[in-house]
Amino acid sequence: MSRYELLSPEGLRIDGRRWNDLRRVFAQMATQPSSNGSSYFEMGNTKVICTIQGPGEPTSRSKTIHDRCSISVDLNYAPFSGIDRKRRGRGDKRTVEMQTSLENTFAQAIRTTLLARSEIIISLHILSQDGSVLAACINATTLALIDAGIPLTDYLVACTSGSSSSYSTQNDEDADPLLDVNSLEENDLPCLTVATLGATDKVVLLLMENKVNVEKLEEMLAVGIDGCKTMRRILDTTVRKHGKELLEKREQLR
Amino acid sequence: MTSLKRSFVAQAEEASGAPLLSSKVFLRSGRGRCTKVVRELYLRQDIPCSSKLCQACTYNAPTDANGKIRPFILSETPAGNKVFPNGHYLIPDTNIFLNCMDALEHKSAFYDVIVLQTVLEEVRNRSLPLYNRLRSLTKSEDKRFYVFHNDFRRETYITRNEGETINDRNDRAVRKACTWYQAHLVSSLEGSKRQVPDIVMVSDDKENLRLANEEGIKCCNIRDYINGLENPDELLDRISSSTDKTDAAATAFYAEYYSQSKITTGLKAGLLHQGPFSTSPYNFLEGSVITSSFDKPLIIQGRRNINRAVQGDIVVVEVLPKEQWKLPSARIVEEDALTKNDNPELGQAEQIETESERLALVEEARRTHNSTDENKLVPTAKVVGIVRRNWRQYVGHIDPSSVAAGRGRSQQSVFLIAMDKRIPKIRIKTRQAESLLGQRIVVTIDSWEKTSRFPSGHFVRALGELESKEAETEALLLEWDVQYRPFPQSVLDCLPKEGHEWRVPEKDSPLWKGRKDLRDLMVCSIDPPGCTDIDDALHARPLPNGNYQVGVHIADVSHFVKPGNAMDLEAASRGTTVYLVDKRIDMLPMLLGTDLCSLKPYVERFAFSVLWEMTPDAEIVSAEFTKSAIKSVEAFSYEQAQLRIDDINNQDDLTKSMRTLLDFSKKLKKRRMDAGALNLASPEVKVHTDSETSDPVDVETKQLRETNSLVEEFMLLANITVARKIYEAFPQTAMLRRHGAPPATNFEELQSQLRVRKNMDLRVESSKALADSLDTCVDPKEPFFNTLIRIMATRCMLSAEYFAAGAFAYPEFRHYGLASEIYTHFTSPIRRYADVIAHRQLAAAIEYEPVHDSLNSKSKLEGVCQNINVRHRNAQFAGRASVEYYVGQALKGKVTEQEGFVMRLMSNGFVVFVARFGIEGLIRTSDLDQPEPDATYDDTNYVLTIHDKKKPFQVALFDKVRVTVEMIKEERTGKRKIQLKLVR
Repeated sequence: MSRYELLSPEGLRIDGRRWNDLRRVFAQMATQPSSNGSSYFEMGNTKVICTIQGPGEPTSRSKTIHDRCSISVDLNYAPFSGIDRKRRGRGDKRTVEMQTSLENTFAQAIRTTLLARSEIIISLHILSQDGSVLAACINATTLALIDAGIPLTDYLVACTSGSSSSYSTQNDEDADPLLDVNSLEENDLPCLTVATLGATDKVVLLLMENKVNVEKLEEMLAVGIDGCKTMRRILDTTVRKHGKELLEKREQLR
Repeated sequence: MTSLKRSFVAQAEEASGAPLLSSKVFLRSGRGRCTKVVRELYLRQDIPCSSKLCQACTYNAPTDANGKIRPFILSETPAGNKVFPNGHYLIPDTNIFLNCMDALEHKSAFYDVIVLQTVLEEVRNRSLPLYNRLRSLTKSEDKRFYVFHNDFRRETYITRNEGETINDRNDRAVRKACTWYQAHLVSSLEGSKRQVPDIVMVSDDKENLRLANEEGIKCCNIRDYINGLENPDELLDRISSSTDKTDAAATAFYAEYYSQSKITTGLKAGLLHQGPFSTSPYNFLEGSVITSSFDKPLIIQGRRNINRAVQGDIVVVEVLPKEQWKLPSARIVEEDALTKNDNPELGQAEQIETESERLALVEEARRTHNSTDENKLVPTAKVVGIVRRNWRQYVGHIDPSSVAAGRGRSQQSVFLIAMDKRIPKIRIKTRQAESLLGQRIVVTIDSWEKTSRFPSGHFVRALGELESKEAETEALLLEWDVQYRPFPQSVLDCLPKEGHEWRVPEKDSPLWKGRKDLRDLMVCSIDPPGCTDIDDALHARPLPNGNYQVGVHIADVSHFVKPGNAMDLEAASRGTTVYLVDKRIDMLPMLLGTDLCSLKPYVERFAFSVLWEMTPDAEIVSAEFTKSAIKSVEAFSYEQAQLRIDDINNQDDLTKSMRTLLDFSKKLKKRRMDAGALNLASPEVKVHTDSETSDPVDVETKQLRETNSLVEEFMLLANITVARKIYEAFPQTAMLRRHGAPPATNFEELQSQLRVRKNMDLRVESSKALADSLDTCVDPKEPFFNTLIRIMATRCMLSAEYFAAGAFAYPEFRHYGLASEIYTHFTSPIRRYADVIAHRQLAAAIEYEPVHDSLNSKSKLEGVCQNINVRHRNAQFAGRASVEYYVGQALKGKVTEQEGFVMRLMSNGFVVFVARFGIEGLIRTSDLDQPEPDATYDDTNYVLTIHDKKKPFQVALFDKVRVTVEMIKEERTGKRKIQLKLVR
């Protein structure tokens, strides 16, 4: 038995949430005026800043694609973001992998053909990590892209889910899937990152790095997609609020 | 490690029940680095109070992923006691759970208890076993224990104040929860006529009780509470003795243990050594500790050096200077005999070593001094610290001589004599001493203060009268930690709904997917007579190419026992079926074990088959594994099968196939023996019981027939074949079984004994050499002598163990006894859990079903292995103890004269092994004559000379002696034991 109980028999998780609770989400748009688009996004204690440069002239010839724009992601972990103070180099394999999956995912949401022969640079700074980092990055990027006015087909939202089945010493069939895992859960449980495209529930990213029983996958996916729906509502509220504020400001200026 | 904590409660986001957020930041510095841990805490309002009286909580009760609401637990009409007559819910604090768990588990009281999260966590940090017991209480339906997560509920969450200790904070949290509960119940019952139950806080902490009183919380301490109940005596006995105040002025008998830091540095520097402590079975004042730094166990002599270590504890020892090194004791020293005059009441003039004990030790020392043989000295050590206590519950009976008669119901201290000889007397306080006399009782040890000569404990429960069959059986099951309670409902719910009507489905059923139809094969099973849980069946048939197809079919338990369900967990914790003389404690419910899984004759059953193609020389051409369905044509006993094979008039297919099997098995056995497999022996006897009363009537030694080895050979072959397959599929997690090669030092004693006494040579460099040399150890006049040597050799070996493949390197997989490179258990899934795992792994390896998580997690598998290793060993011990008890019962009232062999010599006695009953008994020199004759023990020639006044005589090792065997009851202690007397 591990040191702490991730899911108590009474159905409460280590931080007091139930199986289907999201953590507190806090989102802001247009946080950095110097960029074309920016956002700040918190999921519980995972905190991400995203800034967008572009669409603009590609930085190198190789980034020029004749019929659509190219997307480059630049991901950076702040040294103080984790439990131990640690500097992560740029060439870190996990970082590169995350960059690639972000690039591929957003290539499906951005209407790239409208912006041929240009480049969009997405830079992400992870200020604090407490599980579901990739999901937080996706959500932050979506907000920043909207702020930058880049055409998207719909909201691209992401969320994580874990399975308590292999962990729980209780009856396996009763084990609940867990929504929005934090770092303690992420370390001990099989976890899945799901990203869906807006209201369609179309899954555009599905990432899992652990082993899990196939039978458990379905409910994990269902819970994850459900979480994405809620997340979309939250992002939508944020965007509308931001839009309203912008309009109000313009009214005042007039 | 220092910790710095900052915590704040964030503002409410919304008032409408949205969880509040609190986050804690810890700054931790350890090992020269600074780490930052941030924990979030979501405070909520939907944690129900779980009282059936409460209306408000039922409305917003949370649901789980399947939409189910957890049922409310606390009853509408809770019980009351004298102090709180109108019904109450109890909220105990941490110490109550730590000290009074046995009382809380009692059936007569303690219902409707609220376990606070704060308390639960504290219990968990303090003692994991107690935590598990508390958890199982909260699961039991009739006890009504409810876990209330007060630290997650908004109203009851509190933050630690500046300067407040963590304990004070927790006490405050408990009080806060009490206040809230009371107010909550009052408000939710407002307007209804129902009586509001009291919330009663139970604590032993005076300060906490005072503050609670100030805050207007109803509270009392545990003793007052119990005194207000119906049967206070019985419950009070169950409270741990550590809650009693000990007299600080009492003088210390034992040395203080070293401080934690001293132990850690000592261990690191190699000055101290750590290992499990075990008491010598012949001398209670001597123990040994096996450490990794010495290849022989360190000897610990005398009470002072043993320093409160109890059999099984993990201790830290310090090696004594060389002048104090000794020979391992060759004397029999029994606790009963030496400590009979001890007074159980504390505080009276106690000496750590009584005069008689000291004499026993001096005798020892003198012998060592005289001994010239320097090399034989063994390092001695003393215990300086305890890493982990391995105290469990002990079964025993009260020493009648320690009970003061006529004390009535007043409390007195008495001694408990444990069944296990290696456990010291335990001092318990009881008010029911007189009624407990002559009963088998269960106690636990609570503490062993340095001021007390004996450990102190408390009474748990009585099993029944001494020597009644029920009490003795239960006692030995408890003693070996066998779970014998009936299966809970949750387990029975996992059984197929059809019950005994379950049939192999029609061919179009999805259950047939990947399953071979082998119902037309001539399959039969061979088992001991009266066997109902038939695990295995066999067949052999000629193939057109001149080879043979041989099949071993094993009950398909994994079809019925799905991983992770309640039945699986129960089976995993039981680990194995335990066979006692008159009883079987099943691992799986009867329905599966003796019917649905059992490969009974004439009915169709699911099986897991291993099919080989073999040449007529029993060389394996190929092997195949498949799930199947079979229909056994006959179930034979070993004897019936033997008769059928021997009867040459029988020429039907079945008999022919059995002859083929027998023929093959002989070839397989030969090959195995040539490879160096050992033919070991253990004293096995069978008890004949009267069929009506099941009273033991007679004892006989088990007979072995050719058919026994027929079945055995094929089972071994199946196990080895399966082991290879699952290792290939799961190189990290395959469930395997190994038997380590014993270190040569284990055999030194036996080798020298054989050389001196019999001029025989035992070679131990490999299992092959050992097997061959064992074959040469024959005394033509004594056919039993060889068996005796085999029994003694077996005791020098290590025990086989289950392990996950990743835990060892491949060369370490070797099974020494079977001389096989790799081995597992596959063939008895009805009675062993390891086999169930092997079945699942094999099913996944042949892609019959997907791999379940539990098969992939190495740590989980290691946990399972550890448990089943212990269970397996305990089951063997329990079985042996049961045989021993019944042999004793069969001997009751009879005096028989038997032949015996001297197995071991000591300076004041010797051990005789009686083959007829498979028992070994001690004959002390003091039993030979009164007064005790002098004896000299020559430990180089293994001869004990007894200077009897009439006629001096010698007893030498391996001598055949005649003894009378008799069952006697020791009047003073009430112990019944087998006594051997030498016939001259």
